[in-house]
Amino acid sequence: MSRLAFSKPSKLKRVGSILPALFIAAIYMLLPTFGLRGFWLDVLTRVNIFLLITLSLDLYSGTTFYLNLGVPFTVGCAAYSLALLNRYLGVPVEYAILPSAAISLVLSLVIFLPSLRVRGAYFSIMSLLLPIVMAGIVTSQPFSLYLGGEGGITYSPLFFSYARGLPVKERAFFLQSTYFYISSIAAIIAFIVSYKVAYSDFGFMMRSVGQDELLAEASGVNTVRVKLVGFLISSSLASLAGSIYAAMRPPVTVDVFIPANTLVPPLTAVILGGMGTIVGPTIANYFILLVYEALWDVIGRWRVVLYMCLLIVLVLLRPQGIVYYLYTKLKRLVSSKIAELTAGV
Amino acid sequence: MVKLLVCDSVTKKFGGIVALDKVSLEVSKGELLGLIGPNGSGKTTLVNVISGVITPDEGRIVFEGKDITRLKPHRRVALGISRIFQGMRVYPYLPVYYNVSLSARSVYKDARLARAKTTWALTITRLLAEAGELPINLTPYKLRMVELARALVTGPKLVLLDEPFAGLSPSEIDEVIEIVKKLNENGLAFIIVEHKLRYLMKLVNRVVVLNEGKKIFEGKPDEAVSNEEIARVYLGVL
Amino acid sequence: MEELKYILIFGSFHSLTYLVFSLGFSLVFGVARLPNLTYGALYVLTGYSTYVFLNYLNTPLYLAVPVSILLTAAISLAIGESVIKPAIKFPVSVFITTVAVAYIFEELFSIQMGLKPVTLPLYPGTTSILGIPVSNHWLLITAVCLAMTLALLAFLYKTSTGKAIRAVAESWEESMRLGINPLRVLRATFLISGVYAALTGILLAPLKALTPTAGWSPLFAAFAIVVMGGIGNILGTVVASLVYGFIEQSMVYVLGGGIARVAPLILILLILVFRPHGLFGRGE
Repeated sequence: MSRLAFSKPSKLKRVGSILPALFIAAIYMLLPTFGLRGFWLDVLTRVNIFLLITLSLDLYSGTTFYLNLGVPFTVGCAAYSLALLNRYLGVPVEYAILPSAAISLVLSLVIFLPSLRVRGAYFSIMSLLLPIVMAGIVTSQPFSLYLGGEGGITYSPLFFSYARGLPVKERAFFLQSTYFYISSIAAIIAFIVSYKVAYSDFGFMMRSVGQDELLAEASGVNTVRVKLVGFLISSSLASLAGSIYAAMRPPVTVDVFIPANTLVPPLTAVILGGMGTIVGPTIANYFILLVYEALWDVIGRWRVVLYMCLLIVLVLLRPQGIVYYLYTKLKRLVSSKIAELTAGV
Repeated sequence: MVKLLVCDSVTKKFGGIVALDKVSLEVSKGELLGLIGPNGSGKTTLVNVISGVITPDEGRIVFEGKDITRLKPHRRVALGISRIFQGMRVYPYLPVYYNVSLSARSVYKDARLARAKTTWALTITRLLAEAGELPINLTPYKLRMVELARALVTGPKLVLLDEPFAGLSPSEIDEVIEIVKKLNENGLAFIIVEHKLRYLMKLVNRVVVLNEGKKIFEGKPDEAVSNEEIARVYLGVL
Repeated sequence: MEELKYILIFGSFHSLTYLVFSLGFSLVFGVARLPNLTYGALYVLTGYSTYVFLNYLNTPLYLAVPVSILLTAAISLAIGESVIKPAIKFPVSVFITTVAVAYIFEELFSIQMGLKPVTLPLYPGTTSILGIPVSNHWLLITAVCLAMTLALLAFLYKTSTGKAIRAVAESWEESMRLGINPLRVLRATFLISGVYAALTGILLAPLKALTPTAGWSPLFAAFAIVVMGGIGNILGTVVASLVYGFIEQSMVYVLGGGIARVAPLILILLILVFRPHGLFGRGE
């Protein structure tokens, strides 16, 4: 069983890979206390939240091979639900995060349900269509009257009422670092959940659907149920990302539905990382998004063109991705080094 | 005798072509039924209809007294109908173990039972040593064994084999036959679609011959061999 | 009553343009078994390239239009050969590459041409139909679209390439047994569907504002129509185009243009809920 491609690692090995991960996570969480401030702290917060979107995409599309281009729809619905709950029902954003994520989850499920029941191109077409329709709706009459139009909906962000009680000088850093901690914890939880699901029996059932859906169905797998539950778990990550991000960064505008903002970087991260591997896309997420942010000052909107070209080249030449491959190489190298060192003892 | 499976005048049309024309068929418990006929005679369509991959336009399918005509494929697997596909059909990027265990896990709610069943199925098909291999590293014979293990792991009462001997050497075919015989002794029924009649006729108790979607013969294998109409349909093959 | 007339007249016009646009889309869909997500971008591309020829390079109209059409057909072929054909066995890869190409075009248009709508010259004059003034441009469109539909039918049923396309759309295996190379046929469909996207793009650009995202809505309409009508089923496609054209125009005149954006969504959902199986016209 040693060559089991997706096997669960042994206990000792697991400890061996958890410890470094914990160490990196701890260092990462301490960045604000080490003096990280301002723009890049905000960027890291953003990247943390984008990890939820990347994992959402990887967990469903990376295993079932049903491309979900509708991630911006789920993210955007959650963001708009939060804003609308706040504006029309007066719910403070602190309490609106979970309800708005739930609303978006239900909306996504209802609208995608018919296309999850069948095989073929429907799901991807539906998913491509929905963000475009939503972007049209929120900016056109009569909906724009209620949804804020081009300017979007604004409100006071997460913990703002508390921050107002602080001295003026401390306010900005308090909010920034709090958001960073929240987003980091969300990212870590999302990673653990995605990893557990992707490498569970259920995760392998999703993979069987991706590799031969007819065969899976004919040999006992309830493919519709697998797709449904997989979509539910994956979309709850995307919904949470939308709600948390909106709670931290008012106003909510039509931008959330635009693929260049909420789909292009996660999709590139998933492909570069290696579809369905969770670890690969997670590492790629940080790399891809930080570069994406940095590129804005250098080439502006051309960064989308650049990323899409990268995506095409990767898909055609190396559909299995790069990061996960490098990661396993590195891990093997490290463990052989350790074996070498301990052999002498 | 207890009827395990009854197909009652099953009809299926694709566009203008009649793939199955009022085909009726009965399989008893523990029977070995051969299903033969020239290319395009509707054999695979019949297997697809029984396993639920396609639904018939007319007719009924009854399994152990229960009407399953409109039942989804995975529910039929749970009831006890397994199949293998034509050609070597496996999940290309999943190791042998998962190729087999996922079916078990779908049918048995208890994870430990599913694992035990998987080990059992891998043992009879002599795949334990290859459990961690990816299908790409396996020989056609081993791939056929993976398919067989996946069909058996769900605890079927009836197994549909679509061309199980295709692509195998004579000695490998003999091994497949041996496994089928052993399982059959334990009460498992088979429907076997096969072109290699030399091997099939020795194995089965009864044959059904299809031609252009119609059942043209049903009876003992040796009667089939001497039947003139079958010889005409199979001109040059027998 | 007045609205009913509008719906009747413009519903017919739109149905016809959707029919032609969908026929081009269904060629690749039928042969490759996958929707070509760049098809909407090709539609927009032709409009912009004609606009650039006319306004920046001062090319006369009679030259700008054919050159743009040829350019789009060539680009369609290049896209098909470079990002669809190599990945044809892996649907998810084709989805990713084609949507990436579509996003690239969208960004290029909005970087270079901006988000402000652009228009092309309109065929002058109006004619009164049932008492409603209709731009002569619609009559031009009708003539061209009818000609293109008939031309495609003649091509599919009379020429050997056309027959090969139909054979491959029916079954790859069977056509290969008959000595047809499906990949060669696929190349032909890239070229022809490029021409159809281009022509509809040029014809409609003067009436609809041309924006970088204008191609998505017709793409989804084409998908809905082809799926509803059945791939390779010409009569079905005609009926589906009529259904779609009238539904959309009714929504425009009764509920307003904003809500009409959801027309393709509603249609695809209706298909999915009521007729999800057998729409592709093939058994397993």
